[in-house]
Amino acid sequence: MEIIRNFPAAAILLCLFAGIVSSGLKPKAAKWLNHALIVVEMALNLCTLYYTAVTGEAFVYVMGKFPAPWGNEIRAGVLEALLALFVCGVMLLSLLGGEKELEEKVEENKLFLYYVLADHLLCSLLALIYTNDLFTAYVFVEINTISACGLIMIRQTGRTIEAAVRYMIMSLLGSGLLLMGLCMLYDLTGHLLMSNIQESVARLHASGMYGVPLTVTIGLMTVGLAIKSALFPFHTWVPDAYGYSTASSAAILSSLVSKGYIFLLIKIIYRVIGFEVFHDTKIVNVLFLFGLAGMIFGSLSAIKENNIRRMIAFSSVAQIGYIYMGIGMGTQAGMVAAIFHIFSHAAAKALLFVACMGITGASGGSVKFQDLTGAAYRNKLAGAAFTAGSLSMVGLPLFSGFISKLLFAQAAVQNQGKMLPALVVLAVSTILNAVYFMKTVIRIYTPEQSPYEGITWKNQKLLTVSCVLLTVLNLHLGCLSQSWENLIMKGLGMFA
Amino acid sequence: MIFTAILIPVLAGLILLLGPEWKNRKQLCGFTDAALLLSFLAVCVALGTTKENEAVTLFNLTTGLPIFFKIDGVSRFFAVLTGILWVPAGIYAFGYMEHEWKEKRYYGFYLLSYAVLTGLDFSGNLITFYLFYESMSLLTLPLVLHNGSKEAIMAGLKYLFFSLAGAYMVLFGLFLLNRFGNTLTFTAGGVLDAALLEGREGLLLAGAFLMILGFGVKAGMFPLHAWLPAAHPVAPAPASGVLSGMIAKCGVLGVIRTVFYLFGADFLRGTWVQQVWLVLSLTTVLLGSMMAYREKGLKKRLAYSTVSQVSYILFGLATLQWEGFTGAFLHTAAHALMKCGLFLVAGAIIFKTGKTKVEELSGIGRQMPVTMICYTLLSLSLIGIPPFGGFVSKWFLGRGGVNSGLPVFDILGPAVLLVSALLTAGYLLPISIRGFLGGEESVVRPEKKEPSFLMLAPIVLFTVLVTVLGICPDKVIGYITEIAKVLIKEGMTG
Repeated sequence: MEIIRNFPAAAILLCLFAGIVSSGLKPKAAKWLNHALIVVEMALNLCTLYYTAVTGEAFVYVMGKFPAPWGNEIRAGVLEALLALFVCGVMLLSLLGGEKELEEKVEENKLFLYYVLADHLLCSLLALIYTNDLFTAYVFVEINTISACGLIMIRQTGRTIEAAVRYMIMSLLGSGLLLMGLCMLYDLTGHLLMSNIQESVARLHASGMYGVPLTVTIGLMTVGLAIKSALFPFHTWVPDAYGYSTASSAAILSSLVSKGYIFLLIKIIYRVIGFEVFHDTKIVNVLFLFGLAGMIFGSLSAIKENNIRRMIAFSSVAQIGYIYMGIGMGTQAGMVAAIFHIFSHAAAKALLFVACMGITGASGGSVKFQDLTGAAYRNKLAGAAFTAGSLSMVGLPLFSGFISKLLFAQAAVQNQGKMLPALVVLAVSTILNAVYFMKTVIRIYTPEQSPYEGITWKNQKLLTVSCVLLTVLNLHLGCLSQSWENLIMKGLGMFA
Repeated sequence: MIFTAILIPVLAGLILLLGPEWKNRKQLCGFTDAALLLSFLAVCVALGTTKENEAVTLFNLTTGLPIFFKIDGVSRFFAVLTGILWVPAGIYAFGYMEHEWKEKRYYGFYLLSYAVLTGLDFSGNLITFYLFYESMSLLTLPLVLHNGSKEAIMAGLKYLFFSLAGAYMVLFGLFLLNRFGNTLTFTAGGVLDAALLEGREGLLLAGAFLMILGFGVKAGMFPLHAWLPAAHPVAPAPASGVLSGMIAKCGVLGVIRTVFYLFGADFLRGTWVQQVWLVLSLTTVLLGSMMAYREKGLKKRLAYSTVSQVSYILFGLATLQWEGFTGAFLHTAAHALMKCGLFLVAGAIIFKTGKTKVEELSGIGRQMPVTMICYTLLSLSLIGIPPFGGFVSKWFLGRGGVNSGLPVFDILGPAVLLVSALLTAGYLLPISIRGFLGGEESVVRPEKKEPSFLMLAPIVLFTVLVTVLGICPDKVIGYITEIAKVLIKEGMTG
């Protein structure tokens, strides 16, 4: 059993090496290596999850045997392992779902690069999840940004290059702010390992010294990560980046990459700053307000869109708003809801992007609404999957979205001051969600004589597998949420 | 057994929706018919074999929030009523849908809706109820959208958004109840926890009001009624019939569950919630009648009439008094039969003559005598003339208003009901009068256009049932009074 303690580090390094090896391989080999890699990663993370759940406590893995406070550490608890497992699973399904599109639209000699980038992206996500060292986190944030940029512009049209540049600029702004915050924190505490910083911060907070710099630091890091995870009003890069890239890229970016940053923020809140200190700075209230604003304005923008991909992208802005609202409640219940929504939104959004590809594929590749009329009859499976994803987003019971809403509302009801705004905005946002998702569903189910040919499941086996599994994942999250909730609670307990 | 009752129509519906096209129309209808009858039979067996308040849990959504079913007096009443409406309207559709497209889809969703309604009637707690309530909105949507015209799609969207807005208001109340109640299980007399409640009455009242308003959306209560006159008439006639007859009543069922099984009648008695609720329902009664009076299209006129009549029921419930409560249940049954019957008549007229406007119907009575006689009888019942079901229910509703002991409303309520009854006569009877007496006198032998047996039989059946309900309502009244005894302790005279 002890050997499992090596697994998180092995998982990260394995990805790194797979990426390097892939750069010398043919596209097909790179693809198989990537899929095999993700399956191995899932196994490793599953073992870690099992180990931490059984032992009931988090463990620290010291890289290169240099002891704290000098060395570099990895720390794995239930929540980290669960999220890592989830990330691997959703990534595999997103890649499988979009594989056909990749082979059609990406130039033959660049295809292997896609898998190199995907390997590195997974590596950085795992590192963000597992690391116990703030500077390592920063390094992998950058690796993450670069690979994400590559994923966006792998299909080189004018729009994707523009989108990638936009993404790059906003992302670098975000990581710049994070770096500044990190430097100041290093200056204030003299440490880079999370546990050590937390001790010093607690001491500083208790003594009341450096109150203003500390607040500024926390603010810088929070805003930096908020920009990177597309919190309103820093979301302007989202519609282009998710709207014009390939379906797998969009699915991975919206359901995993942005969540990686949010998880890092949650880790910073709990493991670096300390929940109490963070709460005292009132930054939670700012996050709460921005979250609420995002929920409304993201949906409003989505309603105005005439491009289905951009509509789903704007919906992500709204959903990220939900997560920040949960964090902004400043309570344990709010945090549980936010983390559950990370899972729930990732599952639903990946499903939507993959299904959307099936729908547009049956409409001559057009993303305009008027061409999508009746698409669900031409591609029955994608239509059904899109409907399932939409229902989850709207929050029908049995789907994951409903449990998210339930948890958010329960958290809100326990929080005196924030109850009314949270519930009211939750209501308005739900209705707005319904407006654009149901509008789309009705359109794709409106029968019409169409020049485009239908697609049966035999021509899209991988998409079928991906859609079915993602739908099952959504239903699983919706019907058996209690076990997930328990794991999240347990994981949060291990953060302390 | 409850599962079977829900599962049969679900499976049959899925077979129809996912399966290939049927070549033989007769077989398609036969299959649907068999599925409908079998489902109704299963419901009856479930009602017969399941003990009162025996809970059947499906699974746990989260700890403390199980999806489970249980059967009590209210569920029995609604389940039987649903079956009585759903099966004949389905049989009527075999005749009516002949000239429509995509019959298979219609029957598929029709069966699924029946399953969902059964689930709704048997729901044991608010979460289960909410689940089926939302599913009902989504699954009845294709019935509204059926003909695929622009008008239908706009009406469908309107229906959807109003429904979802209503559902969220309900969810708001659900969150509050989850916090301040002991349980979400429907319990006679309410689930509120007095200790937790201390000092939060205002909030809870607001929650109760939102829930009433939210369920009121389906029942077409002012101010969220605008979707109903748009959505009900665009559906094919048998679907309009069940939408007005039964789906609107599911909103009523939601209100009953909210008021008497979650918050408790005593919690709301004498509060602003009751007052506003009374005002809103009376406004709707009057408003719906006046709009119906002005409306020229026959089906749309009937839809406005639904707006008005369902609020009679809500008014009866809002009195929080046993006679009003009894009247509400009676009117639920009577109105379901009457309105479904009237829509089927309208469908028969459209099917045979293609006429949709009221003024085109001169002399229709000579062409379709049986249909129009049924129409006249159903109209008389809807106005509230003895010996039909509508009279008995309105009698109880009026008494409920008078004996409610509420200032102003004890006079105003019955007065509004009377004025609205006059308006009802005003918008329904001229069609009969012109139908039988108007038109060209010179035509000695008008062409007979009576619809086929499949379409005529349900219309006649509903007319007979309403008459029976009017002549011997004792059994039903006794049954409802038993329910009322448990729920409303005040003012029971035995």
